[in-house]
Order: sequence, then structure tokens, then C-alpha cells
Amino acid sequence: MTELAQAVVNGLQMGFLYALVAVGLTIIWGLMEMINFAHGEFLMLGMFGAWWLGAAFGLEPLLAIVPIALVMYAFGVLVYRHLMRRVQGGDPFTQIFATIGLLFLLQNAVVAGFTSDYRFVNDSLLVRLGGAKLALLGLTFAMPLLLAAGLALLLFLALYLLIERTEFGLALQATSEDRDAARLVGIRPQRMFAVAWGLGAALVAVAGAILVNFFSVYPQVGLQFTVLAYAIVALGGFGSILGTLLAALLVGVIQSVTVVYLPPAFKDAFVFASYLLIGLVRPQGLSGRF
Amino acid sequence: MARIALVIGAIAAIVYPIPLQLQGTTYYQTVGFLVLVNAMLGVGWNVIGGWAGQFDFGPQVFFAVGAYTSALLYVKLGVDAWLGLPVAVAAAALICAVLTYPLTRLRGHYFAISTVAIWMIAQPIGATWEFIGAAQGLFIPVKPRTGVVASALSLQFSGPTKAMGYYYAALVLFAFTLALMAVVERSKLGYYFRAIRDDQEAAEGIGIDSRLYKVIARSITAAVFAAAGVLYAFWALSVFPEQVLELNWSTLPIMATVVGGIGRLWGPVLGAVILIPISQIMSTTLGTGPLAGRGIDLIVYGLIIIVIAAFRPTGLLSLPWSRWFRPGPATA
Repeated sequence: MTELAQAVVNGLQMGFLYALVAVGLTIIWGLMEMINFAHGEFLMLGMFGAWWLGAAFGLEPLLAIVPIALVMYAFGVLVYRHLMRRVQGGDPFTQIFATIGLLFLLQNAVVAGFTSDYRFVNDSLLVRLGGAKLALLGLTFAMPLLLAAGLALLLFLALYLLIERTEFGLALQATSEDRDAARLVGIRPQRMFAVAWGLGAALVAVAGAILVNFFSVYPQVGLQFTVLAYAIVALGGFGSILGTLLAALLVGVIQSVTVVYLPPAFKDAFVFASYLLIGLVRPQGLSGRF
Repeated sequence: MARIALVIGAIAAIVYPIPLQLQGTTYYQTVGFLVLVNAMLGVGWNVIGGWAGQFDFGPQVFFAVGAYTSALLYVKLGVDAWLGLPVAVAAAALICAVLTYPLTRLRGHYFAISTVAIWMIAQPIGATWEFIGAAQGLFIPVKPRTGVVASALSLQFSGPTKAMGYYYAALVLFAFTLALMAVVERSKLGYYFRAIRDDQEAAEGIGIDSRLYKVIARSITAAVFAAAGVLYAFWALSVFPEQVLELNWSTLPIMATVVGGIGRLWGPVLGAVILIPISQIMSTTLGTGPLAGRGIDLIVYGLIIIVIAAFRPTGLLSLPWSRWFRPGPATA
């Protein structure tokens, strides 16, 4: 019983990190309805950025978040302006095609620059906290994961307020609802799409900078997270920020509880089995807006 | 005009390996084999993706079902590939129908993720199920055959004619698939599929059972993938989960379809003829030498894909080819 409760607690902490990985996709895919197969590669760039800034300049990954977010925001805007804006005019499947090209390009540019070796961050604040634990009600909370989860939650709240409570957020939502009507009231849809790509790329790269404390860094690390992120966004009901958080927590818990009873190979399979189950009972997702 | 292009293309496809075989090079025949396999998969994926308009990212599951079924029949019961083929195709279509019917409650992106879900669930099953060899998979032993006819009848080619044999086997399967899909395209089925894609509510309004026809469309796709899976298994002489459940078995055909022109019968064929040789040539030229293993070939390949997508998002078959190639002055 304690084992199960502990698994739930661990899963929840992981869930906050998954939420941060997925929320960038919530904006690009859920809200703006554009497909990005290179989402995991944006994450990988964030991870490599944090590792490299640490290895080359001794910068703490948690502080590296700021430059990484800025650079990746600009990168996201660039990707939209020069690639996705043109692709938008074609079949939706062309977005898949274009972003698979982007995936090949980014992944192998990093292979060319840094090789496919596994890298580890072993001198960061969270890694040094490694053994520290917080015991509460017979459950243990590993300090690094707890701090990272807290940080993720904080970022998440800020984003929620930005999207749901500011004029800018409303303009973004208006563009996703009806592009032409948005244009009539003076919103420039192209700019909104560009900002959405910038925000999405920056958020997932920040998630990467936090994840380097827990996962090894290599150029092919992205795909597993891309697949999970798509499931989370769909479970959360497309475009709902709180839905994404809820779904990510659920995914974290399903994974860690599955591992208690079954071989680790099945942990993602159970996430997707739950997706099918929930989807068939509630086809609009956990908190569908549409 | 189109008929002449078809005849020229068919002759080129048939003659292609002969000068190579005389020269003793097998590499370009293997490239040809991969082009045909991916073209065939693309033609199959076009049914669910292009005609019925459903996002399907999980057809590789049925590629694996085909490969495993024929390999099991061969290894455990001694059934030859060509006899195993219809069984594998039927099994894949049936499994697909049973799995897909409940999924058709979901629409759009939800359906897309549900096809990914089936793939994610299939992977650990493939990796742990002892009956199908778990992670090691199944090895297909080569039985010595004498003569071309015996090799062709058993789909087991070896020695210097291996590449050519599998090229022609792929050509036969590809041509059969293409002919069959040409019939489907013009049949009532084809119209139902496109009606569902263009406006599902309107299609239901005139009495088309959209769930049933989506299941039929995906099962046709699954059948084509299974047939290609059988061919691939006997070419690779082994079947293991990481190989047959690889994501490339859906992304490459989807990319070929998008490049050529989605929803057009010949779109995937054109796309495969362009994309597969580029990636193969990239990996043998830029992927070797002092920079081997640094992914230079895939960087260039990625760039080419990005440029094609940005330049022609509606596919290359949507270019005004007939206006360019029509004899006589073009009067607009």
C-alpha cells in the first residue's frame, strides 16, 4: 500500500515536468492547430543548451533557463516565419512532412556538432541535492524532483495567467477560434501564430533545461517525449492549459504505478491504453473546450 | 499523354535492373527495391490518409502483423511465403477492422493519437511475447533452391541474383497493389471515402455509414502494409519488433505521399521515386568518408524536405505538368 502511494507521489512529481514538456505543444497544436513533429527536438535543443552552457561556462542549468528561453523563442518565431507560414497553405499533412524535415535537420545538426554520445549534467544545484529527501506521512519526496516540480508549477501558473487572463492571451485564443473574425477586430493572425511558435519553442526548451537534471542528454532523446506530449495534449482536451496539467499528472502517475506491477517496457503502453479507454468513454478529452 | 508516360515508366521499371545485373552491381537494385516497397506502402496509406482523410500514424503495426504472420507460418509450419501472404493479409485486415471500429468513435486529432496508441501498445507486446520470439524475434532460414522458378515460387532468392529477385518480386506486388487501388479509386468505395473526407455530416446525410467505411479504408491500408511486411520479412530473413515496428514504416510512406500529391493515385509513387534515392545516395556519399556518422547526409536530406515543403505545400503532382508538356502552343 505504501509502495503504491509512493509510486503515486513520484508519478505526480514527474507529471509536473511532463506538463511543462507538453504545454508548448498545447499552444502550437492544441490552440493553433498546427502539427509539430519536431517538438521533441526543441526539447533536445533546450537540454543540449543547458548542458553546453554548464560544460563551457559553468552556468547553473536553472539560471541557463533565461538565455535558452530567449534564444528558443526567437528560433520558434523564425521557424514559423520562414517555414510553417508557407506550409500552412497546403494540406495539413504537409505540416507533418515539413516538421519531419526539421526533425532530421535539428537532430543531425546536433550529431554533427556534439556526436551521438550520452552526456550527463553532474554539477548542477539539483544534482548536488541528490540524496536529500523530505519525509512526510511515511512517504519520501526526493528534493531535486520536488524543487523541479515546484518550478514547473510556477511557470505553468504564469502561462495560465498569460493565456487566460491577459488581452494578449485573449487575442491568441480569438485567432485559434476564428482567424477572419480576429482580423476584423484588429488582431494580426500571422503575428499571433509567430508568437505561439515562439512561446511553444521557449516553453519546451525550458522544460529541457530542467530535465537535464534527471535525464541523460543525447541527440535522439526527443522522440519519446514527443509521443508522450501528443498523448497529454489530446487527453487534456486540446488547447486547455489546465487540462494539460491534469493530463500530465495522470500520465506521470500511470507510468510510475505501471512500473510497480509490470516490466518497465509497458509504462508508455499503459499511458496509451488509458488514453484509448478515456477517449472511448469521453471523446472530448478530460476537460474539452470544444 | 498519361498513357505514354505509364508505358515508358513500366518499361523503365522492368528493364532497370538488367544492365546493373550484367555489370554486377547489386546496390542500385536494392535502392529500387526500397523505392518500390515505400511506393507500395504510400499507395496503401493514401487510402486511409488521402481518400478517407483520416490521420493514421500507426499502419506500421500491420506491416509487423504481416511480417510476423508469414514468418511464423514459415518457421513453425513450413508454409511458403506466397501461401502465407494471403493469410497474413487477411489476418492484418481482420485485426485492423476489430481494432479500428471502436476507434472510429474518435475524430480528427483524437483518432490520430489513437492510432499512435495502438502502435505504442504493440511495441512492448512484440518485445516480450515469447511465442513470436520476444525481442530477438524470428529468423527465417534459407532453404537451398535450384533454379529461378523455384526461387520465385518460394520468394527466397540468394546469391548474386538476390537483389534482382526481390526487386522483381516487389515490382509484381507493387503493380498488383496499384492496379487494385486504381479500381478502388473509381469504385463506389472510393467515392464514399472521399465523401467522408470532404464532409462527414453530409456523407452521413446521404446514407453513408462513416464508421463502417473508415474501417474498410483502414483495413485496405492494413492489407497493403501486411503484404509489404511479408516481402520485407523474406528479404531481411528475420523479423524482430524494433525493425518491423519502426516509425519509419509510416513516416516514409506518408512523406512520399505528401511530396507526390496526397489523394492522387500516383502521388506516393512519384514521392517515393524522389525521396528514397535521395536519402540512399546521401547516406552513401555524404554518410561515408571522414565525416561518417556525423549525420551530414541527414542534415542535407532534412533541408531538401523543408525546401520541398515550403516550395510546394500541395505536392508535386499539383504542379501544372499537363500545361508544360502538352504539345502545341498553350492558350490560356
